[in-house]
Amino acid sequence: MAVDELQAIIQRCQILEEADFKGEDFNLFQVAGQKCLETGYAAQLLEVIQNEKNKVIVKNMGWNLISPLVRCIFMYKHEDDKREHCLKILDQLAQLCNPKELFLSLLEQIEQTSGEQVCQTVMLLLQPLQTVLLKLQNKKAYSVGLSLAMIMNQLTPLPVPYTKQQIQEDKFGLCQCCNAVVDFAKPFVNEIVKNTEESSEYNDMELKEELLKFCMKSLKYPLLTAQLEQIEGIEEHPFRHFATEIIVSAIKINHKLIPLVFLHRKSRGPQWENQDFADIERKNSADSLACLSYLMFVQHFGIDCFPVVFSPSYLLQCNMTHIEVLLKRTEESMLSKGLDLFESCLLRMEDDGLLHQYLEFRDFINVPQDLVKIMTLCPIEHLRKKSLNILQLFIDKFDTEGKYTLFRCLLKTSNHAGVEGYIIKNIKDQIHLSLTKACDNTWFTGLHLISLLDLVLLLPEGAETDLLQNSDRIMASLNLLRYLVITDCESDNRTGVWTMLAKIEQNFLKPLHVGLNMSKAHYEAEIKSKKENRREAHSSNTVCSVTVSGEKVPAMTTEMQLQVLHSALFTFDLIESVLARVEELIELKIKGVMDDNS
Amino acid sequence: EVQAAALAERGEDITPAQDRGVLKIIKRPGSEDESPMIGDKVYVHYKGKLANGKKFDSSRDRNEPFVFSLGKGQVIKAWDIGVATMKKGEICYLLCKPEYAYGSAGSAPKIPSNATLFFEASNASELAREDLFEDGGIIRRIKRKGEGYSNPNEGATVEIHLEGFCGGTRFDCKDVKFVVGEGEDHDIPIGIDKALEKMQRGEQCILYLGPRYGFGEAGKPKYGIQANAELVYEVTLKSFEKAKESWEMDTKEKLEQAAIVKEKGTMYFKEGKYLQAVIQYGKIVSWLEMEYGLSEKESKASDSFLLAAFLNLAMCYLKLREYTKAVECCDKALGLDQDNEKGLYRRGEARLLMNEFELAKCDFQKVLEVNPQNKAAKSQISVCQKKTKEHNERDRRIYANMFTKFAERDAK
Repeated sequence: MAVDELQAIIQRCQILEEADFKGEDFNLFQVAGQKCLETGYAAQLLEVIQNEKNKVIVKNMGWNLISPLVRCIFMYKHEDDKREHCLKILDQLAQLCNPKELFLSLLEQIEQTSGEQVCQTVMLLLQPLQTVLLKLQNKKAYSVGLSLAMIMNQLTPLPVPYTKQQIQEDKFGLCQCCNAVVDFAKPFVNEIVKNTEESSEYNDMELKEELLKFCMKSLKYPLLTAQLEQIEGIEEHPFRHFATEIIVSAIKINHKLIPLVFLHRKSRGPQWENQDFADIERKNSADSLACLSYLMFVQHFGIDCFPVVFSPSYLLQCNMTHIEVLLKRTEESMLSKGLDLFESCLLRMEDDGLLHQYLEFRDFINVPQDLVKIMTLCPIEHLRKKSLNILQLFIDKFDTEGKYTLFRCLLKTSNHAGVEGYIIKNIKDQIHLSLTKACDNTWFTGLHLISLLDLVLLLPEGAETDLLQNSDRIMASLNLLRYLVITDCESDNRTGVWTMLAKIEQNFLKPLHVGLNMSKAHYEAEIKSKKENRREAHSSNTVCSVTVSGEKVPAMTTEMQLQVLHSALFTFDLIESVLARVEELIELKIKGVMDDNS
Repeated sequence: EVQAAALAERGEDITPAQDRGVLKIIKRPGSEDESPMIGDKVYVHYKGKLANGKKFDSSRDRNEPFVFSLGKGQVIKAWDIGVATMKKGEICYLLCKPEYAYGSAGSAPKIPSNATLFFEASNASELAREDLFEDGGIIRRIKRKGEGYSNPNEGATVEIHLEGFCGGTRFDCKDVKFVVGEGEDHDIPIGIDKALEKMQRGEQCILYLGPRYGFGEAGKPKYGIQANAELVYEVTLKSFEKAKESWEMDTKEKLEQAAIVKEKGTMYFKEGKYLQAVIQYGKIVSWLEMEYGLSEKESKASDSFLLAAFLNLAMCYLKLREYTKAVECCDKALGLDQDNEKGLYRRGEARLLMNEFELAKCDFQKVLEVNPQNKAAKSQISVCQKKTKEHNERDRRIYANMFTKFAERDAK
């Protein structure tokens, strides 16, 4: 019987000296103890452990029981008495065993779980782990660091709940577990605070570093992936709570952390007190710092310790690195944080106030290009829309020279007709402003404008340009030209369009005519041949097929094909009509001038 | 204590435009005659309140004075104007209209829209010198400030007057025109190139260069400069012309320039001028790494340049002991050519020097897979094994007690 076996080994060891415990004894104790648990004698095992006389034995051998104990706790139902007993045993072991050995045993147990068991196991073992760590003398900092690293490692593969439903369900228990872990770390953080207050020379760098590593890791996972806005219907949002706790802890550990982290990005790196901090900073911390920035400036967590005297432009400059890190990702959670952070920084500024010199910073050029990528390539619609809005906000904040430079840059680099069309419309708006306001604007009139219009009023590949692909851009350019011709009299010629007329005709209007004629002829021929082929048998020699999600997309019927061809013709007609109108206007104006002059 | 009302009544208008946007009353005058200069690093203790008397911020809560570079737009306009008038040790009150503070946007969450701000500030600066790269390598003292906001960028053409001193003796004096990043061609140390990127047109300043930014270990026999000497230069930036931005160049131009720049980089590398070489190779990366829409021929040429650039950069960073950067460059090189022998070997070297023995060993083993004749890789593998063993010994000693018990148990 299991209990008897246990009693036997206990009696044998009671008379031995501690130093005389042999490996054989450890073995027998473990086997007997395990048997007790598995055959339902947890209560008896508890008695044995609680017995004063067995203290020394438990101290040395107790750590062996962790594995079977945890197994049993998960086996029994919540209401079962035996489960209660097991929990009490766990508690006793934490009090009585050798801290070093029990520590390794607990850690081993956590390391061995995976998948759905992870959070349950971690939450079960956090309390005994904390008890044991608080008892360690040497190597405490190292052990705390090891525990946190191990736990976070185990949690990282778990998916982060994102929608309201997922958060409420908390399928794997991650929400609960994260908050339990940060509570677990609190006494150690408080220890640092207490020691720093008592002695200004306090410098347990190791504990500070380990806890800081944990905070940085948490910023990356789960916080970077989590949804951190207030959710209606959820009172205590678990990840918002977690984020607050992490930031509060980080500030307690090193109150210089947050300003330091933001303000030295241009130089080699913040002046960490210890080289290891610098290493933390480099490896993988870009994501954590970006998340921290989002939490502070968008959700306002921890912003109390941030000085309120920085200029909004400088805040934008410092945050651009973080914005770039987030916008280069493809996950919705990260992109939306990047967009929110960008928006929040831009909204702090007055329009027309951002100096053009900021465009000399590499990220000020890279980030709008990232926005263009998002608005044209991202599959998520609300992100595409938001990205476009933010680009406009960004444009609005710059001074005139800045807008000018940004337009040039985006026209040259975006490679997308829709975006180019949007920029051209912006150019038109700026020209309008500079013609109607009294102020002296050299960037959207005169020589500078001519140089910009050179980029706008042309067909990228001459007469061979694909007019359909570029229709957005071409229409925008034609509208701009029409506007200029109507608004700017030849006598004034403030925009320089009349001087450029010959060049515009050669590079833009003439090739456009040729292109339109060619395209229309081509498409009309296609339509004709399709209609003729329709009478013949439907041949299935498709040039290529498209498969989406494993299902082959049906080939287009002739009707559909004809529809597409007709709508192309419609586009050409549209372009042609605006073109005709523009040429008409030009002729009228010129004729008007000639009549005046004659 | 002076209140906002008193400031509004009898405060001095210190704005250049004289529009009463920033009003000041001195509480306690400062000790020195000199006010801080543009670019100086200033330390300020302050307390800030809103119009309703509510405190919104205080540096004392952080137990740290607030630090910033004066006159650079890092802080609200009221501060750039106000702190510039504060002598060392001075304490004053400032009343700031929203146009000189956070305007109509305010600053969420503490500053509402159109808020007038009240500050009590004290200038706690000890230093008036600017450490350009926050590492003690280049210290600048501006003698005469320049104009405008623009600075020369890397590759800009500058015209300067320069005088160099070492140990109090002048060893160089000349007017010279050169390209930023290539000062070495005119016996100008890299510190000057770096400092020029932070100077403005017409500025005259004194630069104190540490050895890393000076002539380094090689010294300069031509001028009689020893190894690792500290240098002092007085530089006047007469004029400059910026280099073209990357996005303004088309692919053809970038490829042409890449060839030129690669040769220059190699020349610097052979002379041991690694910081200069990094600048040249870095240009190739910044021009070509994100270039789109290349024809097949252009694509091949571009990849070839990028591969060479990354490999050479890795080599330079190894010499400069910046190992993480060396690994990053090798990763990029291997992204272009995954079995590149040099890339693998150099990454192995870097990792070894960062004490990542397992990873280093993997790299060297891969080298041998690609080229079994590589003797150096073989010997590096044994070095890795040796170091791994040393580290394991160290870990083992930490848990000696534990392991002995386990060992005993296992033996039975």
